[in-house]
Amino acid sequence: MLKNYFKIAIAVLKRRKFFTFISLFGISFTLTILMVLTAFIDKVVNDKYPDKKRDRLLYVNGIELRGPHDKNGTALSFYFFSHYASTIKGMEKISISSRFNGTNTYVNNKKIALNYKYTNDAFWDVLDFDFIEGKPYSKQQVDNGELVTVISEDIKKAYFGDVLSVVGKYIEADNVKYRVSGVVKNVPITLYMIYSDIYLPYTVSKTDDKSKSYMGRYTGILLAASKSDVPKLQDEFEQMVKRLPMPSKNYDQIFCHADNFITGYVRTGNEESSGVTIALTAIAVFVLLVMLLPTLNLVNINITRIMERSSEIGVRKAFGASSKTLVYQFIVENLILTFLGGAIGIVLSWIIIQVINSANLIDNLVLSLNITVLFFAMLTCIVFGLLSGVYPAWRMSRLNVVNALKQQ
Amino acid sequence: MFRHLFKMIWNKKKQNALLISEMLISFLVLFAVFSLLVYNYQNYKKPMGFDYENVWVINYNNTVKTDNTDSLNLFYETLRQTIKSMPQVKEISFVNDNVPFSTNTNQSGFTHNKKHVDHLNYHLVEDGYSTVLNVKMLEGRWFNKQDIASANESIVINNSLKELIFGKENAAGKLMGNDDDKIKWRVVGVVQDLKDKGDYTNAGIAIYHRADTGSFHWFGKILVNVTPNADATFESHLYKTLANAMPSSNVEIEHLADKRKNINYFALVPLIVLLIVAGFLMVNVALGLFGVLWYNINKRRGEIGLRRAVGATGKSVSSQLVFESLILATFSLIIGSFFAVQFPLLNVFDLPSSVYITAILLSMIFIYLLVLICSLYPGKQAAAVYPAVALHEE
Repeated sequence: MLKNYFKIAIAVLKRRKFFTFISLFGISFTLTILMVLTAFIDKVVNDKYPDKKRDRLLYVNGIELRGPHDKNGTALSFYFFSHYASTIKGMEKISISSRFNGTNTYVNNKKIALNYKYTNDAFWDVLDFDFIEGKPYSKQQVDNGELVTVISEDIKKAYFGDVLSVVGKYIEADNVKYRVSGVVKNVPITLYMIYSDIYLPYTVSKTDDKSKSYMGRYTGILLAASKSDVPKLQDEFEQMVKRLPMPSKNYDQIFCHADNFITGYVRTGNEESSGVTIALTAIAVFVLLVMLLPTLNLVNINITRIMERSSEIGVRKAFGASSKTLVYQFIVENLILTFLGGAIGIVLSWIIIQVINSANLIDNLVLSLNITVLFFAMLTCIVFGLLSGVYPAWRMSRLNVVNALKQQ
Repeated sequence: MFRHLFKMIWNKKKQNALLISEMLISFLVLFAVFSLLVYNYQNYKKPMGFDYENVWVINYNNTVKTDNTDSLNLFYETLRQTIKSMPQVKEISFVNDNVPFSTNTNQSGFTHNKKHVDHLNYHLVEDGYSTVLNVKMLEGRWFNKQDIASANESIVINNSLKELIFGKENAAGKLMGNDDDKIKWRVVGVVQDLKDKGDYTNAGIAIYHRADTGSFHWFGKILVNVTPNADATFESHLYKTLANAMPSSNVEIEHLADKRKNINYFALVPLIVLLIVAGFLMVNVALGLFGVLWYNINKRRGEIGLRRAVGATGKSVSSQLVFESLILATFSLIIGSFFAVQFPLLNVFDLPSSVYITAILLSMIFIYLLVLICSLYPGKQAAAVYPAVALHEE
């Protein structure tokens, strides 16, 4: 039966080449746009380098203090993590790192702009960086305040050029010479909590981190012992925040959250509106916009095509085919068309992704078509096929046999 | 003639309803895209208001360990002399974090004569600021030594803020400030808007305060105007000097020209992506419309043949078909405009109404053109129908 439908579908597609072209064009381009979008989101949200243990991690990115007249929100202080957050029960490790900041270095009268980040030693245990050479700095090195650093692949190339090994060499940044301890694979800047060009022990920081205020320039990542411990850990963290003493009379509320990756990533710093809702609405509106027009277009074209086939439908009905069979056939035909368009769409998206990657729009953000993206593509194909097939099929099934035959 | 056309449209209301909704949604998409384009273009057309070539930004953090304002001032005045004594440096000004093309904003608000002013960009600058950036004064003057002794704190405001508060009147010499506060500021000058958030972004309203003796506590950046021959060698020399003078501070030197490129990039990329997507949608719609109209004409060969047989010219047949589709477009544009007009009426997104109105007009023209182009060829085909052949088919 299906084989028959397939044959008919191909025959119909061949008959009106112009319409087939319009349909395929619409489907494939819509899918391409959706797939590039999903590839981008997938890369930003789902790429698990270097936080491979993401399902056991909780991200603490900021704190907000509120009072009747005042509102103040920023990243946290080192003191907050070392004195309050590290007392939480059931936590295996806590990574503490500053936000990345820019500085310059000059090699052979050439300027290199680089970003640096101060971290503790647990940063390297909580996150699983791929070391191209060398190793991270140890707890002892951090405690001693040794001038050591872990640098990214890009900086190795920019600063040292094409040399094989740089471990043990010195890199000058911010007017201080640091000994290179390791080189890691690049992290895209979209992962702003982790991204940096060079990583330094927090003990060598030039700024005084001993302030006892809650606010500062550090963010933290908590590692739970196992996946099932995460909700408990989150709960403990909320309890700890509740117990925090108010820093001044101006404030009466403290907001600080340990979030899973996505919630933490899009948290706007505004307590009233969740970042997830905003991000989801924006994406939903965009997808709706991109899909609605081509779908309407397809519905229009499909109806036109069905009217063209009214004689065929009339004959089939006259010989006893039920409306249900006809609707079923038409939807299957439509799905075949959509999948054909989908295949073209996948090829197109692959080309576009290659173009985006070679244009290097965002440093180190390499998009790829992976299983997740393909899965979403299939899903959109089906939704698309059904969406644009159901109404025309319904219209067709209501055709009157006599009229349909007479129209010839 | 129009009554006849309406009747023809009404007879096929189901198919036409779909066509209308397709055009309606295309119109709304176009309206959104054109609004953004027009808004960005209007901003782009405005003058920059300052020079960014050969201006560098030095980022540092105030780590001088003293609570004594005098010794703090002494430290930074020495630093200023050191920088200014370099032959490549023309002028410098310490500023707060609100430097041009930075993604940081420092905004406040106040109520003046019961008029509430919000999103006010706050700048803390020195006398040299106007020379460093070569700003253009529209009224009055920039800060100078006279302002030290004035009873009311001197401020400079930008043109947008002046128009908001004083309208067409002159602002120089007038007092302004929060209604609740006793102390008012004296406006000594009005400066042309500085588009310091990039070429495609509105300058917004801005207020400039003159640095006083305690200001070094709040400064975090230095703007330096250098001569065109300042190269990387000089930059690394400047960098070393600063890093040695402030050993416990992190120092970074950026070029305003690079920062401008960066901030423009972030404004343009979403726009380009949107344009590509909208362009694809329009091609899609155009092909669809063309296909449907073309098919409809093929189906109506009998009717067209009959009209030709009773004496209609080819031209009138084709114009009938073109008019039919234009009327359909008009329907969808009327509905679409009803929604679009709500934006300037309700003042959504705080954009000037001229942006929305231009966008509505542009999208209307675009839709009409699209429909016209898509129906011209099918119309021409209809005109070529031979009555004898068409009627014979029936």
